[in-house]
Formats: sequence, structure tokens, C-alpha cells
Amino acid sequence: MIVCVAVVGQQNNPLYIQSFTEADDALKLHHIVHCSLDVVDERVNNPKKSGPMLNETFLGLLYPTENYKVYGFLTNTKVKFILVTTDLDVRDADVRNFFRKFHAAYVDAVSNPFHVPGKKITSKTFAERVSNIVKSFGMGSTG
Amino acid sequence: MEEYPEELRTPPVGLISLVGCPELHQMISTHLHSEKPPVNTLALPDFSKISIMAKTPKDTGASGNTQPAGILKRDWLLKHRTKMPAVATALIPADHVSGDPAQWNQLCTHLDQLKAVISPRNIKLVVVVVQASSRDDFNEDRMIALRKRAEVDFKYIITFSLNVESDLKQSLNRLGILFAELINVYYRDEGHRIKTCIEKKTYNYVELCIRYCFKVAVYAEFRRDWVEALKFYEDSYHALREMIATSTRLPARQRLVEIKTLAEQLHFKISTLLLHGGKIIEAVLWFRQHCASYRKLIGAAEVNFLHWEWMSRQFLVFAELLETSSRTVPGFPSLISLAMDKSLTEWEFQPAYYYQLASHYLKEKRSCLDLSLSMLEASYEIDGSAESVMPSIYVGQFARLLEKSDGVISMQLLTDEEFIHYAVAEGKRFQDSFEIIALLKKAFDIYSSLKATRMASHCGFHMAKEYFYTGETSKAKESFESVVHLYRHEGWVTLLWEILGYLRECSRRDGSLKEFMEYSLEMAALPVSSNAGIHSFSHREFGPAGPPSFHQREVIHKEALGLVSRGPGFTSNGDGNNLHLAESSLHLEIDLVSPLRVALLASVAFHEQLVKPGIPTLITVSLMSQLPVAVEIDALEVQFNQSECNFTILNAQKSPSIATSVNQQGYCREEIVPSLALITNKWLRLTYDVKSDRSGKLECVSIIARIGSHFTICCRAESPASMGDVPLWKFEEHGESLPIKDPPLSLSGQKAIQVEEPDLLVDVNLAASGPALVGENFVVPVTIVSKGHAVDFGELKINLVDSRGGGLVSPREYESFSTESHHVELIGISEPDGDDKSQVGSGNIRKIQHSFGLVSVPYLDNGGSWSCRIEIKWHRPKPIMLFVSLGYSPCSDDANAQKIHVHKSLQIEGKTPIIVSHRTMLPFRCDPLLLSRIKLAAADSDRPAPLPLNEASILIVSAENCSEVPLRLISMSIEHDDASESSCTVCSANDDLVDSVGPALLMPGKEYRKVFSAVPIERSQKVKMGTVCLRWKRDSESHEQSYSSSPEILTRHRLPETDVELSPLVVCLECPPCAVLGDPFTYFVKIRNETELLQEIKFSLIDSYSFVSSGPHDDTTFVLPKSEHILSYKLVPLASGMQQLPRVVATAVRYSAGFEPSTSALTIFVFPSKPAFEMGKSENGSESVFLAAE
Repeated sequence: MIVCVAVVGQQNNPLYIQSFTEADDALKLHHIVHCSLDVVDERVNNPKKSGPMLNETFLGLLYPTENYKVYGFLTNTKVKFILVTTDLDVRDADVRNFFRKFHAAYVDAVSNPFHVPGKKITSKTFAERVSNIVKSFGMGSTG
Repeated sequence: MEEYPEELRTPPVGLISLVGCPELHQMISTHLHSEKPPVNTLALPDFSKISIMAKTPKDTGASGNTQPAGILKRDWLLKHRTKMPAVATALIPADHVSGDPAQWNQLCTHLDQLKAVISPRNIKLVVVVVQASSRDDFNEDRMIALRKRAEVDFKYIITFSLNVESDLKQSLNRLGILFAELINVYYRDEGHRIKTCIEKKTYNYVELCIRYCFKVAVYAEFRRDWVEALKFYEDSYHALREMIATSTRLPARQRLVEIKTLAEQLHFKISTLLLHGGKIIEAVLWFRQHCASYRKLIGAAEVNFLHWEWMSRQFLVFAELLETSSRTVPGFPSLISLAMDKSLTEWEFQPAYYYQLASHYLKEKRSCLDLSLSMLEASYEIDGSAESVMPSIYVGQFARLLEKSDGVISMQLLTDEEFIHYAVAEGKRFQDSFEIIALLKKAFDIYSSLKATRMASHCGFHMAKEYFYTGETSKAKESFESVVHLYRHEGWVTLLWEILGYLRECSRRDGSLKEFMEYSLEMAALPVSSNAGIHSFSHREFGPAGPPSFHQREVIHKEALGLVSRGPGFTSNGDGNNLHLAESSLHLEIDLVSPLRVALLASVAFHEQLVKPGIPTLITVSLMSQLPVAVEIDALEVQFNQSECNFTILNAQKSPSIATSVNQQGYCREEIVPSLALITNKWLRLTYDVKSDRSGKLECVSIIARIGSHFTICCRAESPASMGDVPLWKFEEHGESLPIKDPPLSLSGQKAIQVEEPDLLVDVNLAASGPALVGENFVVPVTIVSKGHAVDFGELKINLVDSRGGGLVSPREYESFSTESHHVELIGISEPDGDDKSQVGSGNIRKIQHSFGLVSVPYLDNGGSWSCRIEIKWHRPKPIMLFVSLGYSPCSDDANAQKIHVHKSLQIEGKTPIIVSHRTMLPFRCDPLLLSRIKLAAADSDRPAPLPLNEASILIVSAENCSEVPLRLISMSIEHDDASESSCTVCSANDDLVDSVGPALLMPGKEYRKVFSAVPIERSQKVKMGTVCLRWKRDSESHEQSYSSSPEILTRHRLPETDVELSPLVVCLECPPCAVLGDPFTYFVKIRNETELLQEIKFSLIDSYSFVSSGPHDDTTFVLPKSEHILSYKLVPLASGMQQLPRVVATAVRYSAGFEPSTSALTIFVFPSKPAFEMGKSENGSESVFLAAE
């Protein structure tokens, strides 16, 4: 189950962060998302280490914490998407698919002429769309 | 890792025992210990101690049929490492072997005893016969008897000779090799024996399987067979894992404890072996597996803290192992890249990751322990029954010591209830906080060194929280402050909120009201709104500040401002506050980088950029705050760098109470406005006029907002043009407005304005045009015009300064203070004649130095004027600044009145007017042989060619006007530097144009040339040709008025010295200047020998198609010393126009130098018919025509 998704801006500032848990760990998830930016930096600055991932927007598993797994995605405009999930057995294809849909939703949201680039995303439509994508996560790699 | 017993932590070392001859033990054990691999020694001084190796009766009873009481005995490993040797060595003195029968018998008894002890354990026996001296001879029979008695092979009976050093060393080496072999055999046999048990499955209980596998692995480790050791440890581990669901031997609570304790040990061994083998990826994967399989086995709720403690320890130990092996294993970082595709991530190779998780689990343990404690304490007091509980003989079990009536001590297993008591009582003894902080500190350090700032900050934050809860406020504050910057910088508002909440509490505990206010205001102004989708935050998570919400911001805001509005002397001790407002007021500073800019931002803009002194100009002060509740400001003080411009804006509603306190500071301008309320995210704009009397920069420095009688906030003024975004809020989608209504001003407005100088009342005018020319006296007219002031006691100072820096004097020539040494020189200051001499008073001061002049100015009435001329002479081309400063007293009555100074400056370029250049040429159709010229041509040097001695050479001097003004050239001549010793006669070759038609006008960029003939009359290396003297003046046509009287200027240019050389041969061509078609003429080639030697000359004639020629063709001839040989040819021209004469090529054999006339020398013009002019008369003139053609 996805517990948290986030969009992080170029200056590593949060643009959108939403958790999907019942438990009282929303703040912890914020911390996890923030810490995962270190790994994103590391992967972006040392692309050698991840040879085949050259020019790849999907950054893969960033790091496992005690109960979560964190995945990352980097757009061409250096906006980062972070996904935190509790599933310990996740298929890469599912995550890639998720990020692809998430990216599309993000692009639509920032294409809104009333949105100022670099500011937080407050669109309700975007939030709704994201929550739908999150709900459909892992339900098959198509759609 | 330190908690583990020594025998578990270090790889096992083989053990042997020595019996008898105690004096040798030290030596042998030292030697064995230094062997590779080392061997430990159990030294028994005599045979009475051998029972230590004996098998205990209980051991014999162990078999695979009864249920074992535990899995592994606690002391088994230790026993094998310290008490159970692989080899027993009997040291027997040689004299006992060959001694009397009594000794022999005793020896035999001892051997029998030893054999009896070691045979049940399969310990190998070695008999060492110690030969103390060479006198000891061996009785062969006795040795055979000894071998039979000991029942060992001959090779296990060795003699050990002590008498010679080399023998001793050899004996020790032999012993070492023998032991190494036997140790290997022993542990292999033992391992093999147990392995068969495993293979045949002779056990009925899984405990035994685990135990056997463990033992085989340990024996393999003794043999340093790491692969087998790893395999059996893993087998043991897997067998243990299977036991979890099936074991019923122990009470339910304790089963899991035992299994986990053992799993921990096995895992430790496996990890160590993997890491030491460099298999880091496998180790990490193994650890992941280990944690995954045990994490869920929490166990009973009462003792679940044991599980978390256990988990924490797993992470800690693995972190430590990883840290040590990352230092020792080479190529550690490269392994990480290999692991990327095995779904491992970077952090999983960093010890910091495991330290961090260890601390996390330890925290979990603490919270569970607290829960258990409260539950237990609620039910009944923990009694002292836990005291007699101690670890039992099996790993992972606990037992109670029971003392029976007969003094025998026995162990009794604990019931679950007792165990819980014991565990809780033990758990209470430890201070987990310190441990947690230490773990986080390690993680923090490692992450910091990896430049993973966010991870490090996260650890730092948890560390600070730990300090906070243990009550170490100062340390907590330090740690919080070290991480808060990152969150501020990156705009993680929720995380920042949490930290600020803690910091606020820290300052509340410390009683620091200033910090409390700062943190409160920052928190209240954070961009947190109630509908930001963080409704899911719980109160528990967020520490003291509570979850971020708009409401909470309001609460904080009101609390903070309520605190300061209470006035001085209050002490708020209620609800944990010990904040105290001292007598003096509370003052906050907000600078350009302060995080408090969100709370109060001051933008100041002048409406203009320049203002005259004394003229009022408008200034707009704009204030904005993001605080959630409107703030009523009592007074605003606007402060400038010119303090007399400061003013105060008072709030009309509160002014009576404020006015008194402000006015105490003396007179201050006050403005009153009806209301000074700062509304969230709205600019409060106030426009006033300001007037400054002082010229220079007028800058608004700060705005001080006074809230209540004792609280002030000083906010640095910012220019709207350079104002940065408000931190944090810049990421928010919220309405933004301009600080000033006028949009251009809010984009370009500045907080500073330039106040101009007051208008001058006396004008100083410097009128000079164009650049100055080197050599001339350049005149700069200065005019002083009074426009409002009378000039009295006037003084004009003149200064010349090199505009490129550096002095006007070249450093080398600085000492010799001659006129010439100055590149630019002030020659004089002259007053125009015809002016009123009477006005130049007796106090006329005049001082002139090379670059400084001082002249007094006569009294001038208002409206009067006075002028003078400054003459400056340039010796070198150089730009200078001319500074003229007039100092005067404005009124004549008071000589002591302050002087007024008027400054003027003018940059004047100094330029070289004329560049003189020259070149020399040989005479036409005359070619002296110059030997050095041949060499020069070979060397291709730039050196000027030498001139032939006593021959006339042609010297062409040209002067180019490189200034921008036309010049008039009066004369050009060459003067000898020293007339008496003239080594070269130079004379003008033709009539000087200048001399004949008057001064030549030389326009800019044009060149004037003059031809001289030079005849060197002295043979020398350096012959002086003289100095070109050029007389010129500015062309005065255009400036008739000012330059009519401009004097002639003499520019001298010294010609360089040249080499003069005697030419041994001179070849001249002689022919008429022109010919007529069909008219024969004679063409001579004259070869003159200037030497005292006979010269052999080869010559040849190359015919030309244009002429019919007669004369010698190819021949060799000799020229007598100091004489001339003439080759004469009669030529008849066959074609008209420019024609080439037949070419004569002559070669001087002595110098191997050839003569070949140039094409131009051979060119002759052939008229088609005889022209109608006299040839003879114009011969001279045609010569010069040809010269010019060259």
C-alpha cells in the first residue's frame, strides 16, 4: 500500500506531499521523504554508480526503512517524485507505471495557467487524481 | 559487540597442553604463540594436574536419546578454547628415561595416567624427551620401551635438546610443525565424528542437531576451514529457525528468548565470516534476511521490550562489524556499485544506516519497557526475587540459584512469571537515552562525513529530541539549532514547525524571553494553513508545539505578544513558564537574513534618486507581516544614516502613552497617523517627506517598531529593488502585492538617495583643446569667474598627476633632479599681459615645482573674473590629470572665515608629434664587396648592414606626423654630435625643399623625407652618423589667434651607430642613363681592387636579346693591387622601351663572392629616336630621378 507521495521542487522544497495512512505517522513520512532526497542527490551526482540508469528518470528504490520502501523519480526539470510504500514486495514495473501516471498528473497540474511554477500545488483536481492513482497502485501494470 | 564473550568475538585458536618440565613452558608457549597460525598453550607443571582435561561424568551420559535441557552449553566454547587441548605433550627429562629403574617406573606411571585421561577425549599424545646436556646418551632399548608404553608412533616421540642455541631453535620449529599437524588432525577427527552423527541422524531432538552443527562449525574454525564453518553455522541457524514453532521444552515466554539468543550468536558468527571473507553483499543480504525472519517474533506483550532490545542489538552489532570491515576490506566502495542491481541501496552499506535503525529499535524498546513497568508496578511491587536469578548453564536460559540444606547449590528453571519480573528489573537498570544518543551521534557523524546532510539532520534532530526528554536543555537547543537551518532553507514547513516547537520549549525552560519571542514569532508566521491537507497529523507526533494549524499559529501569536504586553517585572511561573521580562525593554533585531523576516519586513524607497540639499523629497515606508493576527504598532521610528533626518510615526490611538517615552531622547520629528495596524500579508504603506542639508548619501538604515511600552523590533530597511523573496512564503500560492503602489518604484526603488553638492558660487574654467605634443610648451588657460561670492585671499593650487598612476618621474632618474628627468613638467604660470596689474596685490605668492604650482589670485568682486595660463611641457608621451583647486574666503572682512574650495580637473593626453626614421642604401650601380654583409645574409639577421668605408652611401631620413594636428616643418638637418672627431661626413644630397620654399606643411599621418649622402672616413665598429634636428611648429592657420606666436620647437633624434667596413673590391657599372635605338654606346664594368693583394676575378656575360654586344665573354682576369680593371662592352640597342642590359656576373675567387647586378641597375630606357634634349646638362638631375625611383 502506498502511504505517502510527494513532489519536491528544484530547490528541494516540498511542492506537494500527501500521506494516505490512518496511523499517526504522517510526520514520520515527511521525514522519510526529506531524507530520501539525499539519495536522489547522490544518484544524480554520481551517475557512474548506477551505470544502466543513465538518462533514466526512474531512480529505483532509494532506501528501505524499518517498515517502508522509498522510490524516486526525477523529471527533466529536476522535480522529484517520491513514493513511500509499505509493501515489501513491489514490482519495479508497478512503480514505474505509477510514476508515469503521477508525472502525467503533475504535468497537467502545472500546465494550469493560474499555477505559478515553483509554488506549491494546491489544485484539488490534482489531489483527487493522485489519490485515484494511489488507490489503483499494484492493480495490474496497465491502465 | 563488546557484550559478547571474548571466545565468540575472536576466531578460535588451537590449544595444546604441556605437562612436566615447567621451566620450559614459558619458552615453548611463547614460540607457539608467535607461530602462524598461533597456538595457545595450556601449561600444567606436573602430572598431578592432568585431571583438568578429564571427561566429567555427566558428559559421558549425553546421548541422542534423552531430551537435552538446552541447546548449547554456555561454557562449551570457552572450554574448548582454554581447557580442552588438541594435543597433550609429556615433557620428560632424558635422564629419567635412561635413569635408574625407580625413575623409569615413575615415568611409566605418569604416562599411563596421562593416557587414561586423554584417551576418552581422543586427545593426541606427544612425548618430548628433554635433553638437558650433550652428555645425556640415549638408551635405545629404553626409547623403544618408552614408545611402546606411550603407544605412539615414533615420530611423536621427539628429543628436545637445550644445549646449543641452533639445536634449540630447530627443536622448537620441529615441535611447532608437529603440533600444527596434530591440531589439524584432532579437530578434523572431532569434526568428522560429529558430522557422522549428523549424517546418520542419530539424534531425536532438533536441539542436538543445532548443537552438532555448531560444534562442527567451531572445529572447522579451529582448522581455519572457513567455508565449512560457514556452511555448518548456516545449517545450525536454519535448524534453529525451524524450532520456533515446535519447541515446547521451556515455558512459553522463555522459549523465544533462548532461540533468539542463539540465533544472535550464530548470526554474528556468519556475518563475521562473510565480512572477513570480503563478501559484503552476501553479508548485507544475510542480515536483511535475518531481520526479516525475526522481526515479527515479538513474543509476549509483557516482555516485548526484550525483542526490541534484541533487534536494536542486531543492528548495532552489524553496524560495528560493517564499520570495521569497511576499514579493512579493500575496494569497499566499488563493491557498492556492484550491489546496485541486487536491489540493495547505497545506505545499506553504510554503518550509519544500521546505527540509526539500532537507535530506532532501542527507542521502541524503551517505550515498551515503560509500558511493561507501569503495568507491573500497577499490579504489585517488584520484589527482590530477581536477585538470585542468573544465566543458567545453557545459552539463552536463566535459572534461580537454590541452596539446599546440605550446602549443595543447584539451579532451578524459572517460571514465566519469575522470568518477566527478572527481565523487567534488569531492563530498569539501564539508561537507554544515553545509548540512543550515542548511536545517533555515530550515525550523525558518518552521514555528515558522507555529505548526506538531510540524513545527518534527521539523526541530529532525534538526538536533540532525546536530549530534550532527558532534560538537557542546553544540549538539546544546540542540536536543534544545528539542524533547523536546513529545514528553513529547503522550506519543509511541517518539519520546521516541529523543531521550532521544541526550540520554543527549550527557551521557555531556559527562561530566555528573547529567544522565546523569536521562535514564537517565527512559528506564528510560518505558512501553515488549516486546509493544507495535514489534518492527519496527530498531537502525539508533534512534540510540544502540537500539530501545525492556523489555529495553533494564532494561539502562539497571542501568547507571545500577550507576554510582552504585560510590562516589566512580571514573572510567569504558571504552567511551567519561567520567562521573565527584565527591567530593560525587550529588543529584537531582524536583519536581511533573519528567519524573522516573515514576521516583519520593512521596505523603504525614496521616490527620487537625486535631491538638492534642503529640498524635501518623498519617502515611502512599507511594512508587511505574515503573523496570523493583526498587530497594532504603537510607534515606528525611521532611522537614517544622517540622524537629524530621523522621525517617528505615532499611532494616534496610543500616542499619549508613547509620546513621553519617545521625547525623552530629545527633539525628534513626530508624525501622527490614525492607525498603525499590520494586517496579515498586506503592506502598510506610509509616505512622508524628508529633507537633508548635508550632501552625500542619505540612507534609511532601520525601522524600529514599538509594540507596548517595552517591546521593540528593529527591522533593517530593504530597498524594494533588491529585496529578496520572503523565505518559506515564496513557495506558497498566496496573493502578493507590491510594497509601493507605484509599480516602477516598487521594482527599482532604493532605500538610499544621493544628496547633491550645493551650487558653486565661483567657477573655475580650464580651457584647453586637443592633446599636447611632446616638446612644446602647452598652454592651459584658466579663468576664474565669480558668480556670487567675492574672492579674497584666493589661492590657486595646480597639481599634475599621472592619470595611469605612478609618478611623473621615471624611477631610475628620480635622484638626478634635472629638468629632463621629468616626463611632464610644469613650466610656469603666466598672467595675461594687459590685465590690471594693480589688482595683483603685494601678497602675490608664486611657487612652482615640477608638478606642483601655487599662485595667488587677486581680489575679485562679485561678478569679476581673472585668468592665467599654465604652461606644461611634456618630455615623454604620457597622459596626465591636471588638478586645479581654488581656495578662497568668501568675504573680505574676516580672513579667518572658513575657506571655500573649488576643484576642477582636466585630463590632458601627451603625444609624440613626429616619428623620425631612417635607412641607408648603397650608391646606384656601384657595389662594394662587404664581407660581413655576406655573413649577415647567411645568418638572416636584423642588424643593419655595414657601410663601405670611403664610399658614398645614401641616407634617407623621414619624419612622420603622428599627431592629430597639422604641423609645419621648418628645417631638417643632421648635426654631428662632436664636430672635432667626425668619422663620417654627412651632407644633404639635394637642395632642401624646406630651405628653398619655406616651412613644409605636414598633415597628420603624412611623411616628409630628405636624402643625405654619407661617406664614412674612419673604419670603426661604431660610427656615429649624427643627430637629426627637426624644427617645427604647430600649423597656426587655424588657430591664428592663440598660436601665432608659438615658437619653433626643436626635436632631436639621434641616428644609431653603424658599422663601417673596408670593401676589398668595388664593382661599378657605367653606362649612359638612356640610349637611342640603333645607336651604339659603351657599357663599362669597373672592378677596383682596394687591397694590397692580387685578385683573381672570373666573369661571364649573359647576353640580352635587346642588344648586340661586343666584348669579353667568359674569362678569368687578375686585378693588380690598388688598381682598377675595366671590362668594356659596345652595345647596340635593338629594341626600344625599358630594356635589360646584358648581365655581367663576376666572382672574386679569393672571397668566393659573386657579383650580380640587380635588375633595376641593369635596366635602361631606349628611345626609339634621339630625343630633343641635351644629355650632358641634365646628368645630375637624372641621377636623382633614378634615386627617387628606388
